[in-house]
Amino acid sequence: MRKILAVVKREYLQIVRTKGFVIGTILGPVLMSLFIVVPVLMSIVAVDQQEKLGIVDSSGQIYADLEKKLNTHTLKDGSLRYLLEEYRMTADVDSLRESLNQKVLEKELNAYVFIPRDIIEGGEAEYISEHVSDFEKNRSLNSALNSVIIEKRLKGEKIDPQLIGKLMMPVRLNTKKVTVRGVEEDTGGTFIIAYFLVLILYMTLIFYGQAILRGVIEEKNSRVVEVVLSSLRPFQLMAGKIVGIGAVGLTQYAIWTVFGVLLATQGGALATGFFPQAQGFAIPSIPLYIFVYFVLYFILGYFLFSTLFAAIGSMVNSEKEAQQLMMPVMMLLIIPLLLIMFIIRSPDSTLSVSLSLFPFFTPMLMLLRICILLPPFTQILLSLVILILTTLFMIWFSAKIYRIGILMYGKPPSLPEIFKWIRYR
Amino acid sequence: MDSALAIENISKKYGHFYAVKNLSFQISPGTIYGLLGPNGAGKTTTIRMVMNIIIPDEGRIEIFGQKMDEKMKTRIGYLPEDRGLYPKMKVGEQLQFLAALKGISKTKARHIIDEWLKRFDLVEWKLKKTEELSKGMQQKMQFIATIIHSPELIILDEPFAGLDPVNTKLLKDIMLEMRDKGATIIFSTHRMEQVEMICDHICLINKAEKVLEGNLGQIKRDYGKNTVVLDYEGDAGFIQDFAGMEKIDDYGKYMEIKLREQTDPQELLQLAAGRLRINKFEVKEPTLNAIFIDSVGANHAEDISGR
Repeated sequence: MRKILAVVKREYLQIVRTKGFVIGTILGPVLMSLFIVVPVLMSIVAVDQQEKLGIVDSSGQIYADLEKKLNTHTLKDGSLRYLLEEYRMTADVDSLRESLNQKVLEKELNAYVFIPRDIIEGGEAEYISEHVSDFEKNRSLNSALNSVIIEKRLKGEKIDPQLIGKLMMPVRLNTKKVTVRGVEEDTGGTFIIAYFLVLILYMTLIFYGQAILRGVIEEKNSRVVEVVLSSLRPFQLMAGKIVGIGAVGLTQYAIWTVFGVLLATQGGALATGFFPQAQGFAIPSIPLYIFVYFVLYFILGYFLFSTLFAAIGSMVNSEKEAQQLMMPVMMLLIIPLLLIMFIIRSPDSTLSVSLSLFPFFTPMLMLLRICILLPPFTQILLSLVILILTTLFMIWFSAKIYRIGILMYGKPPSLPEIFKWIRYR
Repeated sequence: MDSALAIENISKKYGHFYAVKNLSFQISPGTIYGLLGPNGAGKTTTIRMVMNIIIPDEGRIEIFGQKMDEKMKTRIGYLPEDRGLYPKMKVGEQLQFLAALKGISKTKARHIIDEWLKRFDLVEWKLKKTEELSKGMQQKMQFIATIIHSPELIILDEPFAGLDPVNTKLLKDIMLEMRDKGATIIFSTHRMEQVEMICDHICLINKAEKVLEGNLGQIKRDYGKNTVVLDYEGDAGFIQDFAGMEKIDDYGKYMEIKLREQTDPQELLQLAAGRLRINKFEVKEPTLNAIFIDSVGANHAEDISGR
């Protein structure tokens, strides 16, 4: 045991002193800060821009009302959001369009809207711009146009103008989330947190897995392994290495947690200090129970994958040789990443549940599901049991390979050879 | 007393190829034992089996009357054939770590490390990274790591490889010191002069099998004092007809004559005395080198003298 501790200590100090660790540890909080600051900045920059909009109203009935509606949209400094300019319909439609297109390209206009003569009877309006992907803008323009035209239609049916105002009352849809602790307002932060945590899990699992791989290859290449094995068993060396590097991971998490807590409590003040306009912007905070699961799944996922990386490292002579063998392991880490959107859309479907119970996917996918809907505790428990059993099996399996591989030089073993190694006593 | 190391009929096979075949020997405590043999004879495989790194297919190995286990490892110092240290670790820290693996406390280790660094002239390198040391210095550092815990059994695989004459002597002196303090040392080599200088016993293996084993002096005596060196003037052609002669190397004024077994060198002396002017007549023990080459076969002579 004391020998293993000596290995743990060595591994820990070796990694903590590297530039990679220092950079990664600092970069983490920087990314976290960006994560808070960038959305704030985006909301400020994106919204606070005046739009010059050209309107061609062939029907001649819409422009005045549309202008009235759009003038209710203002920027933060109180000026109008949309600056409208009306263009008269001419006989030569094509040349009118041509000149307007030119204005858009020359940035004289941000966009123009073409309203056909039969708009009230169901004709389609057109929005022409250089960029058509600003959903926020499209939505407000669309809803303004919509209400103007429906009002016109209702008036055409001789309906009391008083009544029209009442009928046109917009419907609001408030999204809320139900959890075991009751109904909560969902600010949209849930997805961001889920995505963020899964991404951190993915990055740290790969980072520390590769640290193990490199460590094993270095020991093998420098031939120090035989010296070390004259004092302890291969399993003790592997265990010490995995625990030591895992402890580095937890240290890094601890540093990030301290920073995260600071950011959550002080971050609002910080953000508004730099950007006074950001007042009232909600900083997504991570509930404690999610954080506990996050650390738990990191630890278990780390043990599962690190044994695999250790076994691979023992089989090869260089990192280049390791690439090929790492492919399947990397797949096990990347596939869950690709499944995130699917799980978010249907977190409770049978497929989602089964995927999150597959032990190699569990750390990332079960964490994701816990973030977005908190599955029944029995499911979480089941995932933990499967994960722990698989990890124990992988430790046994990898130790068998490691024990032989670490003293083998030359070409990496073939699959039948690996099975032979496992059967050695 | 029991032997420090007892090997009984061990064999190790890779496919159809025997790396070690039915090998047995015993080492008495407090002696230096030389494991000799040409390249690929099975020396390293034998040592690795002793260290429990390779498991023998057959046979038994006992160290101080016990089977090898984790506790036993702290009583053994092992210098592998493939030298290796962590390149990025500092010299002092690395020795601390290797000492800790042998169960030596930090304060005690610090003291011992300083002593040895001084003896090996490495003090000013203590805070340097290991990779900055020259190959020879790394070798010395590795030797310190091997004996840092004053082991009772020291196993050295090619300890002198790559060392200059000064350091070779230093290493040899330390080996003799450790023996005088009661340690048992087994080392492998194919450098005969070192074996002759320090070994009490030897075991010669070739092609996985034991060829010769025993007390070094005894082996030489058994081989027979049957080489005569003659320094002469005159015509020595008549010696060709001498019945007890087996082989002659004549250099004109100097010749080496290998006599048949049971031939008394005095007969040759009497025969030659009347006909030649003799400046020197010496009856010699064969050198270990000659025994080695004789036992292993002349085809191996090249790789041995090449080292």
